[in-house]
Formats: sequence, C-alpha cells, structure tokens
Amino acid sequence: MKAIIVGFGFIGRELVRTLHDKLDKIRSLDREFKVVGVSDSKGYLYNDDGLDLKKLSNVKRLSDYSTEYREGRSTEELIEISDADLMVEATPTNIKDGEPGLTFIREALNKEIHVVTSNKGPLVVAFKELTRLAEKKGCHLLYEGTVAGAVPIFSLVRECLQGDKINRILGILNGTTNYILSRMYFEGTSFELALKEAQERGITERDPSYDIDGIDAACKVVILANALMNRDVKFEDVKRTGIRRITQEAISLAKKSNFAIKLVGIIDRRIEVAPKLVPINHPLCVHGTLNAVHIETDLAREITLVGYGAGRETVSAVLNDMLTVLREKAQNRD
Amino acid sequence: MKFDLTIALADRPGQLVKALEPIAKNGGNIISIIHEREKVSDGFVPVSLVVDFPSKWNLRKTIEDLKRLKVAIIKSEEIIDTMRITTILIGKVDIKRLAETGIRNVEIIGFEVSAPASKDSCLKLELEIPTEHVEEALDDLRRIAEAENALLLSPL
Repeated sequence: MKAIIVGFGFIGRELVRTLHDKLDKIRSLDREFKVVGVSDSKGYLYNDDGLDLKKLSNVKRLSDYSTEYREGRSTEELIEISDADLMVEATPTNIKDGEPGLTFIREALNKEIHVVTSNKGPLVVAFKELTRLAEKKGCHLLYEGTVAGAVPIFSLVRECLQGDKINRILGILNGTTNYILSRMYFEGTSFELALKEAQERGITERDPSYDIDGIDAACKVVILANALMNRDVKFEDVKRTGIRRITQEAISLAKKSNFAIKLVGIIDRRIEVAPKLVPINHPLCVHGTLNAVHIETDLAREITLVGYGAGRETVSAVLNDMLTVLREKAQNRD
Repeated sequence: MKFDLTIALADRPGQLVKALEPIAKNGGNIISIIHEREKVSDGFVPVSLVVDFPSKWNLRKTIEDLKRLKVAIIKSEEIIDTMRITTILIGKVDIKRLAETGIRNVEIIGFEVSAPASKDSCLKLELEIPTEHVEEALDDLRRIAEAENALLLSPL
C-alpha cells in the first residue's frame, strides 16, 4: 500500500517517527507498505519507491529532507500524481470553512483513496457530505484522532457496540480547560493564573479562546453527534458557554457539596458545551489534561472511556485508523 | 402515583391478608409494608403501606372497600418524589429577589453566598424539586440567570 501524509506539523512529524518505529508491525500486515509522499503548505516530497522514514524523522522541515522537495507545488498535485491508496490528512484545524483539509479530503475520496484524518475542521463543516462521498466511493474515512485524541470512542462503537443505540453522550473533551479547572480545584489557583500556567506549558491553542470559550469542545460535540447518534448537527447548533466566568469562589462552593466544575459536552435532547457541576465520584470526573467520554446506550447502559486528548498520544489513534485500513485491504487480498 | 396508606388492623391472624385484597383488586402495587408493633393500642396494630396506584380514583375505591371490611384508615396521602439539586449562580444575583420571584414547584432548602474576592459573587442554592418538575424548574432558573446576566451551573 502506498500512503501519503498531508501536513507536516506536530502530528505529521510524530506520525512519521512512529511509522518508522513501528514499521515491522505495519509490514506484518502489508509487506509493500510505504510512504510515497509528504506535503506541507509550501510544497511536497514525492518518491514512488518510498521515502526514507528514518531520514524524514530527523528533519524539522520537509525542505531539509533532500533536493527532492518540490517547493511551490500543491498538495492537490501530490494527490493527483501519487497513485496513493491511503492519505493521512493532518493539516491545521479551520472550523470556518474546513480548508485546506476539506478540499484535500474531497479530492482524495474522489480518487478512491482511503482517508485518515486528525483534523476536526472538515468534519465540523461537512460531515454528512464527506461520509456520503466516502460511502459512494467505497472508501474508508476514519477520524479517531479528531475527538479526545487517543481515546478510541469511534472504534469502540464501530466494533463493539454495533447493536446498541446511543441515547446520550457526555464528555470532557478539552484537556486545556480541564487542566485549568483542575488547578483551580486542587491548588486554589485563580482562573487567570491557571490559564497562564497552561500557556507556559504549551498546552493551549495560539488563541486561548478556542479552548476556554468551548469552541474546540463544541467541534468535538458536532462530530460525536453526527458520527455516533446519526444527527445532522452544525457548529452553530451547539449552545456554548466557556469557563471565563468560573471563579475560585464557585469552585470552593461546589467542592463543599462534593462537586467539581468541569466543561462538559452534552448530547441528548440538548446539544451543549457548558461548565457543569460533576459529582466527584462520577466516572466523568477526571482531572489534569485527561479527557473522558461517557456514553449511555440502550443495551450496554453506561460506558466511560478516559485518556489523553491531545499531543503525541493522538498519533495512537491515527496509526490505529491506518492499521484498520491496512488490515481490511489485507483481508480482501486473502 | 405513590401513596402512604396507614391502616389499623385487629391483632389477630388473617387480618393483613383480608386488608390486602382490596388493594390488589383496585390495581395497587404494594411497595412496602411495616407493622408498627410498638404502637399496638386496644388490640389494634397500625400497618403502614406504601402503595403505587394508577390514579387517585383507585385509592378512593380501595379506601371504600377497606371501610366496608371495617378496617380503620389512619392516614392516606400522596407521596411526592422529590430531588435535591445543587446549583451555583455566578454573577450579581439578589437572593432576596430570587426568593420573592419564586421558582415554580421549588423549595429553597439552603443557600450559601461566597464573599466576592473577584467581581462576580457566587450563590449556591440547595433546592428540593418534585422529580417530575426538575426540568421546568431548571429552565426557570436558567431564565432568571439570563435576565440577571448570571451564569448558572447545574448538575449533569
């Protein structure tokens, strides 16, 4: 199988490193597996015999890899010429119009290339369109890394809860706000100081409002509602309240009654992201940068998954999606 | 609908079975029975029952039948299921005005105001709400919070 990677930011680079580390495992499913192209916003690398993953793991910019770097050329061109079977799309999230990831995913699916993405933007903007297109073209469109990072919520439902109807989803879907609220809860820190700490640790987005006003969590709510509850939800449908007004006094009052204040995404008759009082013994009450997704179904009743929602851990989800495609291709071959 | 039904039975074998028959006949589902033996008086034992009837009419019919069997009724009243809910309002909220405005079906059973070190004050309310009215009571609170430009924190 030939794969291309679109986007060479944090996730793209970590993925290349992981593919190199786990190459034996990947090749046990597909002896022919190779990465033939990688692109960034300024150009791409392409080699039909496969790029050197070890060498690629050690470069910060694609242009440092070799003179093979085709500067000024587009990702669309890479998709066109590469004859790839699988595209991993890891460009930055843009929830306004989903670009540039949306165009890349459309183009890949139209060329019957399987797509794995860690980018929320295209799914928030055009979930139904993309899933229908993937179905029409007989392609996988997998996006485990878009919600709660390494937490395998979509795989769990797809593989293990095929007969269940999901009635409600609750989630702590943003690690940054959970870190801030946890610092306020355990250390008595003010909101402003906890935010500053989070920024110093590099766990906030460049624009902190993306985290603290619940925008990131609302994007994940949109994807969860559409993917797991077959809704047709747009970003504007999510009632959204952030954590800017949460004060130390409110945290203390909640604590006295055995609650923690958490930014929770809720999908039932409401579609909402808002700070809520979460009982401290509730499985959703996780702290630090942890994420949690709690689902309520008709048969299994309640299941909670807890894990890390951002950073290097997200590569686990992307790799698992890639292996899902590889395994199915291998089964079809047999 | 659940009812607390307390009857007085003669302290003789077979009296309870006789009294339970009209309850079953009128569609009552007995949830609990307590013989209050420590309260025996003049040869009668008070028996407290919690019974789920489809409607008040079924309870009335049961009481008529029990009276016909010479079973004395000590108490019969509806049990209203309530929930205790904690909420926190962040912002300038006047507790006096809130109490005066009143929230439908809600009893404020406790509150705590936090001294505002920051610009917004915090008001924690412990509420008792009939289970069937929880959603509408929270909607009322939400409306009040919005009108006061306060942030309402409700439980999951």
